[in-house]
Amino acid sequence: MPELGRAALVATLGLVLYALVAGAYAAWRRKRRLALSAQNALLAAFGTTLVASLVLVAALIRHDFSFVYVADHTSRELPTGYTISAFWGGQEGSLLLWLLLLTGYAAAAVLLNRRSARDLVVWVVPVLGAVALFFAFLVVVVATPFATQTTPADGAGLNPSLQNPYMMAHPPLLYLGFVGLTVPFAFAMGALLARRADERWIVATRRWTLVAWTALGIGQLLGAHWAYEEVGWGGYYAWDPVENAALMPWLAATAFLHSVMIQEKRGMLKVWNVLLVIFAFSLSLFGTFLTRSGIVSSIHSFTQSSIGPWFLGFICLVVLGSLALVLARLPLLRARTKLESLVSREATFLYNNLLLVALTLTILWGVVYPILSEAVRGESVTVGRPYYDFFLRVFGLPLLLLMGIGPLVAWRRASVRSLLLTFTWPLGVALGTGLVLLALGAGSSIPGLIAYSFSAFVLGTIALEFVRGTRARRALAGGSWPRAFSDLIARNRRRYGGYVVHAAIVLLAIGIAGSSAYDTVDEARLAQGQTIAAGDYRLTYRSLEERAGANATELRAVLDVSRNGDDLGTVEAGKNGYTAERQVSTEVGIRSDLVTGEDLFVIAELNPDGTAYFRVFVKPLVNLIWLAGLVFLLGSLIVLWPDAREQRRLATRYAAAGIPARR
Amino acid sequence: MIALSVAAALAVFLLYASVAGGGTPSLAPSELDGRTGKVALAGKVVGRITGDAHANGLRFVLRDVEGKATVPVVYKGSVPDLFRVGRDIHVEGSLRNGTFVALPDTLVTKCPSKYAPE
Repeated sequence: MPELGRAALVATLGLVLYALVAGAYAAWRRKRRLALSAQNALLAAFGTTLVASLVLVAALIRHDFSFVYVADHTSRELPTGYTISAFWGGQEGSLLLWLLLLTGYAAAAVLLNRRSARDLVVWVVPVLGAVALFFAFLVVVVATPFATQTTPADGAGLNPSLQNPYMMAHPPLLYLGFVGLTVPFAFAMGALLARRADERWIVATRRWTLVAWTALGIGQLLGAHWAYEEVGWGGYYAWDPVENAALMPWLAATAFLHSVMIQEKRGMLKVWNVLLVIFAFSLSLFGTFLTRSGIVSSIHSFTQSSIGPWFLGFICLVVLGSLALVLARLPLLRARTKLESLVSREATFLYNNLLLVALTLTILWGVVYPILSEAVRGESVTVGRPYYDFFLRVFGLPLLLLMGIGPLVAWRRASVRSLLLTFTWPLGVALGTGLVLLALGAGSSIPGLIAYSFSAFVLGTIALEFVRGTRARRALAGGSWPRAFSDLIARNRRRYGGYVVHAAIVLLAIGIAGSSAYDTVDEARLAQGQTIAAGDYRLTYRSLEERAGANATELRAVLDVSRNGDDLGTVEAGKNGYTAERQVSTEVGIRSDLVTGEDLFVIAELNPDGTAYFRVFVKPLVNLIWLAGLVFLLGSLIVLWPDAREQRRLATRYAAAGIPARR
Repeated sequence: MIALSVAAALAVFLLYASVAGGGTPSLAPSELDGRTGKVALAGKVVGRITGDAHANGLRFVLRDVEGKATVPVVYKGSVPDLFRVGRDIHVEGSLRNGTFVALPDTLVTKCPSKYAPE
């Protein structure tokens, strides 16, 4: 079996090498049949990578500990679900997953575009081949998942913190996002190589970017929820380099998704868009590099790591190579039009982009600075939470405000007077919300108060847009209100789906502000029968229970909870002792109030004498963060949904434009 | 042009922010001598762990990850699951009279399985 896996990966390596070399030659000399053959090689590479992945999955399920990878990451008593998720629990497996997703994306992108954008795809294939070649090289030569050994009796087990349902979905989703950004990158490079400076590559990859971006966003939120439930320190995001690794490409892709609209509508920002897609793709490579090379813990472990230097070399190659290409094609990328006014839709998009990129760069700096400092001055430095929180406020709050302003500003140029007229209602809502909250005592956190007022403003403008749109639709076509409403969305998915996503971001902002600016924590050591008060809650430590789980011993302190005298049942908190892995992990107790969105969050440190030390958090509105994830998904689906009308419009547009002459 | 100028301004601002007040120096026990300000201390837990993190403080000794220099540490606050003798940890605080007095809730274990090549 391991031979089959190894052979399949070698075949993949050969196929993607062929796709790169033959594809590039065919595109350069315009050999049609050779180009087709290179495309087919890319499709076949997905097949061989799939075979290799199935071999690994089969070995995991059969507990075949003669595979070093299987023995290192699973054990006999590990539940089947986690046994399969061990596929991406270690380095070699996650690199294989990268390659599998990449070849899958590449195959789908080639299949779907090879008729409609033929002259682009011939150049896209060698670019995809080059990226796949790197990962195929890694899993064949540097870090193979198919190393074998004499079979041990049992495996080492999976890291307990990865034994959580979220960890089955979070890493694949992030990888779906990381890898998905390869597609717009490859199309952008393909367009430059083919000397096509129009927005065709953007139109062809818009949905791919959206899929990747949605997966990254949802994956990131699942990771946050995992941290909240499993890591057990009372928060959901710690600005850890590994978390930032996923946030940065998402922010860059967000900027990209917005700025491409300017190129589609006004033919501006061509260079900027290409730079953004290079930035986003490089960040996704950098993110994989951060989590996989060990550079976060220290430079020392980086030089010991097998893949770190390779990764760094590849990232440099990608950045320098693509920048050189942009430079070479600069004359082609001149804009048709200029920015006419600093008060216009284009301008707000530009501000949005600058803020998003600035936020991304500050986070990048926070991640890179400690590493650079260690390399240059020999003294490591840690960049802490205050740094990130400061910049999140400085750049994030204006972004929130812009989200309300942007959609209502006219294209080309708008007058300040008409703006004020448009914003009468939302401004009123925002001011009213601010004043009411101030009266309720929310002034204890100024950033929180600002975030809430801005949120109200944005929600106000979104509601206004829906109301105005529905009213106009009904006036035009008649019919009932709900009918007009659904028609409105169906006829303009991009716009109204976008608003739904905006609403999700507002929910996220409210949740983050509520749970970070207005949370409380109380702590005490309790003997059984004693009580701790936290906000409106009272918790009484009733008993200590021990029970056997599937692969762990579960110790739980049971607490009776009441709020303002009402009995709310019990909450359990404690720890799991994992037998095979010989580790303990804290298991927190959470009681969510689905009406107010508030969580009661309990951490218990159990003492041998039967007492326990409790930390009790009350986190208002924290559940809006998870709700935001659902709304975000809904909005993305609305935008992603196939749109026949749009396809027809595009087809006519490109038929009219014809295939432009080259050189 | 606008983009470029804003980017340049941002770069300057960033450098300023990170050099002036962003980072806390991260040191090994052997580098602590003479430092009085707030630092992050990184090292390996050795010897015996005594005391109570929620009362008078948890007491343990940190040694250079690769070296012999050690420093006693006293710490209060929450203790991560992975904290035990032999782990690499880092903790923020400052040196007072030969003992490193840690700030509450700053103890973080460096979890090798999470980042490192396996």
